[in-house]
Amino acid sequence: MLIQILLILGFVLVFAITWRRFGQNVITFREASLWSFLWLSGVAFTLYPGLTERLASFFGVGRGVDLILYLAVAIQFFLIFKLFILNEQSERKITNLVEREALSHLNEDEPASANRPSNYESNG
Amino acid sequence: MKIIGIIPAYNEEKRIRATAEACLPFVDELIVIDDGSADNTFMAAKSIPRVYAIRHTINRGQGAALRTGTHAALHLTADIIVHIDADGQHDPSQIPDLTHVIKSNQADVVFGSRFLGQEPKGMPLSRRALLLAGRWFNTFAQGIPKTISDPQSGFRALNRKAAVQINFKQDRMAHASEILKLVTRSKLRWMEVPVTVTYTADSLNKGQKNTDALKIAWQLLLGIFTKS
Ligand SMILES: Nc1nc2c(ncn2[C@@H]2O[C@H](COP(=O)(O)OP(=O)(O)OP(=O)(O)O)[C@@H](O)[C@H]2O)c(=O)[nH]1
Ligand SMILES: [Mg+2]
Repeated sequence: MLIQILLILGFVLVFAITWRRFGQNVITFREASLWSFLWLSGVAFTLYPGLTERLASFFGVGRGVDLILYLAVAIQFFLIFKLFILNEQSERKITNLVEREALSHLNEDEPASANRPSNYESNG
Repeated sequence: MKIIGIIPAYNEEKRIRATAEACLPFVDELIVIDDGSADNTFMAAKSIPRVYAIRHTINRGQGAALRTGTHAALHLTADIIVHIDADGQHDPSQIPDLTHVIKSNQADVVFGSRFLGQEPKGMPLSRRALLLAGRWFNTFAQGIPKTISDPQSGFRALNRKAAVQINFKQDRMAHASEILKLVTRSKLRWMEVPVTVTYTADSLNKGQKNTDALKIAWQLLLGIFTKS
């Protein structure tokens, strides 16, 4: 089927890229192997769709496609939550910067003294 | 003992002067943190005697403003720090009720509670119900003692030791719950005292919406997983 050919072509492409990156010393051998395992299992599942069915029934899920969908949803949930947390961390860093900037003016900004007229405004 | 009041203010140009002036008789110095307001809160605060005006260049939230204010107050050698809302909902004449407890060495941290006998003025029923739910949320989700009667009090006082020790991280409205949690888990002595909080059409209009409670819960959840 056409979809199988397209999928396998895709997997082969990323497989090639993975080892190219290993050759360029961008990723370690361990990382390249792990990714390759993922791509090759992709090829295996594409060639033998029955495999997912067996896995699915092993986990007690009706169809293989359902298993993949469940996993995809779970992984996406996890990734999105992780993004939220990363965002929170950046927010805190921004706050830290803003605080430091604000406090750096503390010593130069003495309060208006009591005998200034109440409508005193500095020239800022 | 040097008492410094901290007023976080966001777009409070019109109210900040009245609030600050009402507080000044009860504190030695005041710090107003203009939290990146779009209006001229900063200049309005700066022109008031005995007030240090500090400005966040961008809005970071009430918790962040309180943190900046607390650090400034420690720098200005405060012995007692009082947190006060800028919107005039807190009654400044009750500041001594809070500081007294610390001065007489009965506690390190004092929380003003809206639910210890003094009826909040004009608090909508929905807000009351929500705060009751907040109390249960704090108990189960946060492990804050059920004896804390006000889950979201913004009127509080800390001595220097407590202010140094309580290192809260929440930038927005969730800091109130976080501070309760940190304080009640610590070895610090804490106490609640009754305070009156006034709700006006104005404060309700600008204040928190009931749905913001969900935001607070969400931020507390994120806080659990956020390092640093
Ligand atoms: N620094 C800072 N202060 C804020 C911000 N939003 C509100 N505030 C201040 O925090 C105080 C309390 O804010 P409110 O929105 O009234 O919150 P609340 O009093 O807990 O809620 P209500 O019960 O609805 O009044 C006021 O003095 C506001 O000026 C903000 O983004 N940054
Ligand atoms: Mg308010």
